[in-house]
Amino acid sequence: MEIISEKKKGGSSRELELYFGPQHLGMIGNFSITLNVRGDRIVRAEANPGYLHRGFEKLMEGRSWIQNFPLVCRVNVIEPGSMEMVYSTAVENLAGVKVPPRGKYIRCIYLELSRIASHLFGLWAYSKTLGFETVGGWAMYHRDLILDLFEELTGGRVYNIYIWPGGVRRDLPEGFEERTKDVLHEIGEKVPDYNQTFFENRLFHERARGVGVVSREEAMNTGGTGQVLRATGLEYDIRKVEPYGVYDEIDWDVPTREDGDAYSRIMVVRDEMIESVHAIFKLFDKLPGGPVYNKIPNPFKWNIPEGETYVRLESSRGELGLYLASDGGRKPYRAHFRTPSYPHGLTILEKALAGESISDTGNIMISLYVTAPEIDR
Amino acid sequence: MSSIEEKITANFDGIEVRKIEEGRIEVKTKKEALLSTLNFLKDEGYGHLGLVSCVDRIEEGIFELVYILSRYLVGGEVAVDQASLIVKTEVPRGNPTLVTSVKVFETAEPYERELHEMFGIVFSGHPRLTPLFLERDIDLPPMRKDFDTRKYVEEEFESIPPVED
Amino acid sequence: MDRRQLIKWLKEPLKMSNKYSLHVVYFCTGCGIIEIPPSITARWDAERFGVKPVATPRQANLFLITGYVSLKTLKPIIRTYEQMPAPKYTVAFGSCPIDGGMYWDSYNTINHLDKYIPIDGYIAGCMPRPEAVFAGITHLWTLIDEGKADGYKKYRRNYSQYRSNQERLYGELGWPPRFETEGLENE
Repeated sequence: MEIISEKKKGGSSRELELYFGPQHLGMIGNFSITLNVRGDRIVRAEANPGYLHRGFEKLMEGRSWIQNFPLVCRVNVIEPGSMEMVYSTAVENLAGVKVPPRGKYIRCIYLELSRIASHLFGLWAYSKTLGFETVGGWAMYHRDLILDLFEELTGGRVYNIYIWPGGVRRDLPEGFEERTKDVLHEIGEKVPDYNQTFFENRLFHERARGVGVVSREEAMNTGGTGQVLRATGLEYDIRKVEPYGVYDEIDWDVPTREDGDAYSRIMVVRDEMIESVHAIFKLFDKLPGGPVYNKIPNPFKWNIPEGETYVRLESSRGELGLYLASDGGRKPYRAHFRTPSYPHGLTILEKALAGESISDTGNIMISLYVTAPEIDR
Repeated sequence: MSSIEEKITANFDGIEVRKIEEGRIEVKTKKEALLSTLNFLKDEGYGHLGLVSCVDRIEEGIFELVYILSRYLVGGEVAVDQASLIVKTEVPRGNPTLVTSVKVFETAEPYERELHEMFGIVFSGHPRLTPLFLERDIDLPPMRKDFDTRKYVEEEFESIPPVED
Repeated sequence: MDRRQLIKWLKEPLKMSNKYSLHVVYFCTGCGIIEIPPSITARWDAERFGVKPVATPRQANLFLITGYVSLKTLKPIIRTYEQMPAPKYTVAFGSCPIDGGMYWDSYNTINHLDKYIPIDGYIAGCMPRPEAVFAGITHLWTLIDEGKADGYKKYRRNYSQYRSNQERLYGELGWPPRFETEGLENE
């Protein structure tokens, strides 16, 4: 960290301004926080986003409905699946396209797989920040196994563009179910090891307990969703509140914790991964036959009727929304993403960092799941 | 218990309430009544401000501010058809000023900062209307409809010569 | 160690040790960074190529520019690049740094990265898979061997042009020139 300026004279109590990121070993993603510190305590923190701003919403206004699919998945590189889902659901709402049942199930399987992949990436980032390189290596390897499944499904490792208005692009390949289950079993067999080395490790408990506490009132006042809210004991999950896809047709639980600190948030993530694995097995059990997509009109001449819609769903980091307006033309009139990291990284992070030690900056930031590209868009 | 639509129309004059799709109710309010509407809806349980957005209706000469409110529903409570409210208000494009809603919803702070930067809307009473995303000053706020991003790229970036060795 | 390379090691020890210890500066500049964690962990293991992330640009000699470059990121990129000690190499990922890629009409991403800092090589793909990263790295070895990865020399030779391009983008830059801009002689 670089010492920029001396704010106030007076021995150890003087206030210093430090830049944390964008080029910093503790920073995951291209993000920057300006910290005002006294001693090693953070007095005030100011988030400084915009390093990844590409003006997506402006670009989307200049491209046709179907051309926007490669764009939207790039809003968030960690979990592109939920971005595809939110945009295609919005387009379906506006155009009145229906999805066949098999398409809905396959979408949910794909979304749950990408949720696990995203959580594993988060686990890598978090454990690496705390110095648990081994656990990070395992998480990254297991994420890679899921990416291999995506590659088989669509040809792309990260950006898949699998979800399409009217369903999914193509049916599951032969034997995909078995291979998915094998991968999930392989990850599941490793859970005791994860527990032993990380989740039940005394070092993790001491680094994470009581750190970066966000109370329930604070989280609700500042737009917190996802793990931030569930770590305070509130069972708020869009999949339950406003079920999309087929989440109301299978039986699953919303894991919660009570304390609202970094420990609770990470444990919620762990429980969610396990819950997602169970959900995928249940989805495969009920998977119906039939077509996977309904035909849409010629995408090059596709005018969508005038109207507007707000779609929200539960991504791996919280509530993801899209406000989409059409003026009856071939291109969206206005699109605005409500990304979960936006309030987490800009409002809650600033509050949670105040009063904490400098060495916990990365710890708190990653436990809040701050993902820079989706803040900047 | 009466529905939220009835409650809103009973409490405010000149407010338009209409259901636009399943679970989404549009509430159109006057610019002056925005804060009292938001306050009222917050007390009614719509305590989660999901998004503050803006639509540039250039042909009508207005900016349409969009506030999306939803409820923090818990447990097995499945959302009724009043899950989200889309509160809208209009400001003229010529003089885009509006009072800030930060005092009602803390979440609005970065959103309003962004709209100030991207649309040039001035939120009076906002604690810090400093630039959020952009590095350089662009004369016309870039998200406005009359800002031509392709022309901008052509003029600003393409005109820079390549380095000749 | 390969026996056939022994002569090379004796002849040019500096070049060889540069080549086999490419230390990457830790800077997540774009979305291509998502393939770096898989590359540096056990499955793909970049360390067998001598590639390893390091904490500060002062210890690094390889700069992976992973994807599109926004205006706000380019400034720290230039600063980071200037802080790295020579010899240093830059590799850009994907099509975005070449000509803007899919963000060609965005008002906040610059289209041709090589107008502002020199680039030694590009890796195709959005984003490049770990195998492609390694193909790029091994190709960079060849370039270093042949003396073609000389971006840092080019930067020094043409610093006045680079600096004027950077100033055209940002107006006044907040730091003094890295090299003298007048009277540079060709090496």
